[in-house]
Amino acid sequence: MDQVFAYPAKWWNEAVIVWLVVAVVIYAVTAVPGLYFIFKYRFKPGEREVGDHEKHGHWGLEALWTIVPTIVVLVLATYSFAVFKKQRTVPEDAMTLKVTGFMWGWQVEYLDDKGNTIKTVVTAYNPTSYEAPEEQKIVVPAGKPVKVLLTSMDVVHAFYVMPAKIVEDAVPGRITYLWFQINKPGEYWVFCREFCGTGHSHMFAKLKVVPPEQFALWLKGSSDLAKKGG
Amino acid sequence: MREAVAVPWFSAGLKEWIFTTDHKKIGILYFTTGLVFFIVAGLFGLLIRFEQNSPGFQVVSPSFYNYLLTGHGAVMLLWWAIAAHIGGFGNFLLPLMIGARDVAFPRLNALSYWAFFGASVIVLLTLIPGNHIKMMWTGYPPYAAHPDAGVTAYYVFAIHLLGVSSIATAVNFITTYIRMRAPGIGFWNTNLYVHSLIAANVIQLIGVPSLAGAVTMLFLDRYLGTNFFNPALGGDPLLYQNVFWFYSHPAVYVMIIPIFGFYSEILSTFARKPIFGYKSMVFAIWGIAVISFIVWIHHMFTSGVPDWARVLMSYTTVLVAVPTGVKIFNWVATLHGGAIILRSPMLYTLGGIFMFLIGGLTGIPNAMVAIDLGVHDSLFVVGHFHYVLGMALTLGIFGAVIFWFPKVVGKMYPENFGKISFWLVFIGANIFYFTQMLAGFLGMPRRYPDYPPIPEWVVLNQISTVGALILGLGVLVFLIGIVKGLTSGEKAPANPWQSPSLEWRIDSPAPVDNFGEKPPKVEPDYHPYKYGAPPTF
Repeated sequence: MDQVFAYPAKWWNEAVIVWLVVAVVIYAVTAVPGLYFIFKYRFKPGEREVGDHEKHGHWGLEALWTIVPTIVVLVLATYSFAVFKKQRTVPEDAMTLKVTGFMWGWQVEYLDDKGNTIKTVVTAYNPTSYEAPEEQKIVVPAGKPVKVLLTSMDVVHAFYVMPAKIVEDAVPGRITYLWFQINKPGEYWVFCREFCGTGHSHMFAKLKVVPPEQFALWLKGSSDLAKKGG
Repeated sequence: MREAVAVPWFSAGLKEWIFTTDHKKIGILYFTTGLVFFIVAGLFGLLIRFEQNSPGFQVVSPSFYNYLLTGHGAVMLLWWAIAAHIGGFGNFLLPLMIGARDVAFPRLNALSYWAFFGASVIVLLTLIPGNHIKMMWTGYPPYAAHPDAGVTAYYVFAIHLLGVSSIATAVNFITTYIRMRAPGIGFWNTNLYVHSLIAANVIQLIGVPSLAGAVTMLFLDRYLGTNFFNPALGGDPLLYQNVFWFYSHPAVYVMIIPIFGFYSEILSTFARKPIFGYKSMVFAIWGIAVISFIVWIHHMFTSGVPDWARVLMSYTTVLVAVPTGVKIFNWVATLHGGAIILRSPMLYTLGGIFMFLIGGLTGIPNAMVAIDLGVHDSLFVVGHFHYVLGMALTLGIFGAVIFWFPKVVGKMYPENFGKISFWLVFIGANIFYFTQMLAGFLGMPRRYPDYPPIPEWVVLNQISTVGALILGLGVLVFLIGIVKGLTSGEKAPANPWQSPSLEWRIDSPAPVDNFGEKPPKVEPDYHPYKYGAPPTF
């Protein structure tokens, strides 16, 4: 478990490799004969001047390259379904963040077990820099699953957790969700991934992953931006 | 029907061009307009590329960047990837390939073009500062109803006019095919280009009204106080996305299916043999068209729609790879046993097919919902669609221009320009779009003028720019070739490629009245891909 860097990134990386292998094989099986035919069947005056008219079709071959690709894509879609289920099933012990997107920043509320907000972090829009001050970093514990409930105050945004390779839209008027887990402490990127206007490319956040003990201290600390009565 | 004693296009005056109902001149008007806008959108693309080249804002402001990107997307998709070839080549070739004198409704055809022209004027109006539209070609509310998005009305009205143009053209082309085929042309000896054109127009007929509905609701929300997409008063932004994509997904098949038609015509001509599996090719065209209507949620996999909808349309989306794959395998099989001549239209066609294979294979991870949850709205998606549209579609149109140049113009396109432009475009575009896909896999979002200096992103963006410059040079060479062909091209015979297809039985350039008073005599065993005699070109 410790060797895995993040979830659902681990399963995403595996899925990409599965697809890539299939794609390279299909490409080779198609392009190599194709290129070979282009060279082998070149027009040669006197030798090869007209194409072979007898070969207009072959139902056996055509059935083969209809049925086999159908099976291949259905297998890929089913494999994807299995991974999707894991991406959409939040682990039981996840902590919950309520994230509200706005033009152009994120308001992150840390909820306790009863759903009350105990701490709030808000990122301020900086149109030119990608630095974030400490108090605007979204702190989460390493090695623990985090559920993110998403919504928006204005237009459609999307919360992309880059180390976890997962994104979901933040839509006004509804609550969407994603979950992730990062195992290695460090600072990572969160980007807005649904076009939302002039500040879209600077609607980022720094995700600060810290050991669980440090997170607990931070959560209780006095340097929070929450309004009283959370 | 207007008397076809009108003059041929090269000696037609302005009045003739404005009032013409001749399908050939209308086709030339469409293609020329589409090509001019392709160049403008391409220049916008280069500016975007220069801005994205490095972190920071060096070239343009974020607001202007958003205008450039909206313009680039909307114009490339709607002017180049649809109107230029369906309005351009479709108009010119459809009556000729079926032995007709014109389309079923020539005046309606003229209306189609002038509505398209009106939409083009609106796009030019957006160039004026203060008139910019910045909601991206997708125009999602609530942002698109927000003042920061620019003059939404221009976006809406341009689409309305394009919609009128498209629906009228669809009615026209479908009726023409059903009612005006010369005796001897039936469903099973119709050119594959015609099959693909008609299938694309059936999609247009069914789908375009949906797009019109989406943008009309957007207009009403923005300007007349309705709340279709305002959740505070009972609306839902996802309603727009559903209605928008219900058309806009099938639209991409409107874009590519006729290009597949070009590939079939050109490939069989330069392999000197019939297309392998003609009947399957026809079934595949219609299979793609039907499936295209039941996959649109794949554009919304992260949008908050229910999980069951995402899974369902993940399955339906991967299935579109089957008929598409059949076409690619059949083209490769056509090469087997051919007598292949690598003239530039053939290079463009083969290049397009091999690039469509990459584009299609990179569509599959987007269709696999688990992978899409990591690449949605990243440059990976951008790389995917540039492979299928930027490469396969554009290579196909360039090849078609060179191939039918003699029939339209009466002169040959200069072959060396064809070959040089092909290699530059092919190599440049591959460098450009492949690096986009890699950057997307490494997390880079799309529609970002600026980004943090993550080293991999910076390097990939810089390599990407090199690709774009080579591509731009290739396009320039291709365009110069058109000018050279028009001015000093070698005089073309009626049938320079020795093709049995009907459009090659009339003079080059095509006479004003096509086949004359009577439809052409079509032999009982006519087929457009019967290559009997050795070629002499």
